[in-house]
Amino acid sequence: MMENRSFDHMLGGLMKKYPKINGLTGNESNPDMNGTMIPVQPNAKFQGQLDHDPDHHFPGVDLQIFGGTPPGPGRVANMQGFIKSYATQGTGINASHAIMSYFPPERLPVLTRLATEFAVFNGWFSSIPGPTICNRAFAHYGTSFGNVDMNLFYIQDPIQSIYERMVQAGHSAKIYYYDQQSSTMEIVNLLKNQPRIFGTYSQFIGDCNGNTLPEYSFIEPCYNDHPGPGGGQILASDQHPDHNVQEGERFIANTYNAIRIKQELWETTAMLVVYDEHGGIYDHVVPPACESDGKSAPADKTGTGAAFNFDRLGVRVPAILVSPYIPRGTVVPGTEDPNGRIFEHACIPGTVTNFFLKNYDQRTSREKNSNNFLAPLTDTLRPDDDCWVFDV
Amino acid sequence: MEKKYKLVAKVPKTPKSAYDHGRFISSLIEHQIKHFHEIEKSLLKPGQELTDITKIKTELQASEYLKKMTALLHPQGAEKPRRVAPPRKTRKRAKAAKSKGKGKGKGKTKSKPGKRKSR
Repeated sequence: MMENRSFDHMLGGLMKKYPKINGLTGNESNPDMNGTMIPVQPNAKFQGQLDHDPDHHFPGVDLQIFGGTPPGPGRVANMQGFIKSYATQGTGINASHAIMSYFPPERLPVLTRLATEFAVFNGWFSSIPGPTICNRAFAHYGTSFGNVDMNLFYIQDPIQSIYERMVQAGHSAKIYYYDQQSSTMEIVNLLKNQPRIFGTYSQFIGDCNGNTLPEYSFIEPCYNDHPGPGGGQILASDQHPDHNVQEGERFIANTYNAIRIKQELWETTAMLVVYDEHGGIYDHVVPPACESDGKSAPADKTGTGAAFNFDRLGVRVPAILVSPYIPRGTVVPGTEDPNGRIFEHACIPGTVTNFFLKNYDQRTSREKNSNNFLAPLTDTLRPDDDCWVFDV
Repeated sequence: MEKKYKLVAKVPKTPKSAYDHGRFISSLIEHQIKHFHEIEKSLLKPGQELTDITKIKTELQASEYLKKMTALLHPQGAEKPRRVAPPRKTRKRAKAAKSKGKGKGKGKTKSKPGKRKSR
């Protein structure tokens, strides 16, 4: 799971060549603080453009989605508040336009290739219109236990993490954080109480090489720049602004390669590349309503003056499913199609639980009813010569 | 890569200039540190001092604190020390060693005197 980039920012440019991908026409725009309409621009940079970390806390995302209309009956989401939101961070008028930037596909050779060679989801949204921690909680627990912020959350019975569910049922599962200097992001309680379900990225590579990968693995990128063993330099690979996007590309490519070059692993593994939330960066698709997870965040926690009942999703994020059982160029339709399917991070424990544990009840009904992200898999294995390898 | 693959895509290198461990920490890392600080409080033994996390400003400082805490919670995640391969003897050096013969072998060889095997 990567950090803080929207679908349109990373993959929106693909629509020109691949019309089924619900990306950008080039006519999408947002008003700036002067009221001038600023269109999307294919000028995203790897680093140095979003050095003011764009706001993605709950009130900021509310402004981005609703354009500044305060909560109340009948308000309509219009995705018109992204520049306004970024400008409130003291960026200056011109720099605030950077929030509308997107990458031309050729600038992201790894993500672009995986999206066009395997399956891309047009309708994968962050679980909450808010920041990292609560969104990542959905990927591990299928709920954020009522949180919409960055605070440390405490797990409430009977809901267990997907890893604990797996291990207790006699299956194997692991969270691989990058290294001790980067560590794990949101689940320190789990690290404290269940250290055996953790490993490092180098252990992940070793497990791939030794064909000892657990049945379910969650892989975290590196979250900070730090010296490496023996005096090297380890770059953050999470793609969180203002970390270098290219290094994240290399991280994804290395992870893909580790599976791809082991034939048995390649033929038995599905790899999901997904981002936790949009990081305050523009996307044109209005997040849909969703089934509540039975929780409510009070107004003093949301910061918008209104409570939030976890009944609508956050901004859309890139999501790609990789497997040799997926036909090239698969696009899973989203909100643009009446028959489209909506995905969010609760689909991760939802799909894994349904796949391995079948009827497991100790989870939210939102997770239980979530869509199966393995649906793009077919029965036909693509020839080995038909699948790429990255030279990293 | 031992096997030859038909479809190979080159991935550009990240420029060295991207590295900056003096970068100020983002709100994300700040919260990550706060979470570990909560755990540190819960593990504190009498006489031990709590880390002053207000002094953590840069990614380098953050990484040092995270390493300390993670090593405590998950020592299995420690980097294994890299094996340093012993220098290979050239023929010349091997010959010289042989002619010197019988002395104590330099370095960390465990072979017994008189039973050294040539490589």
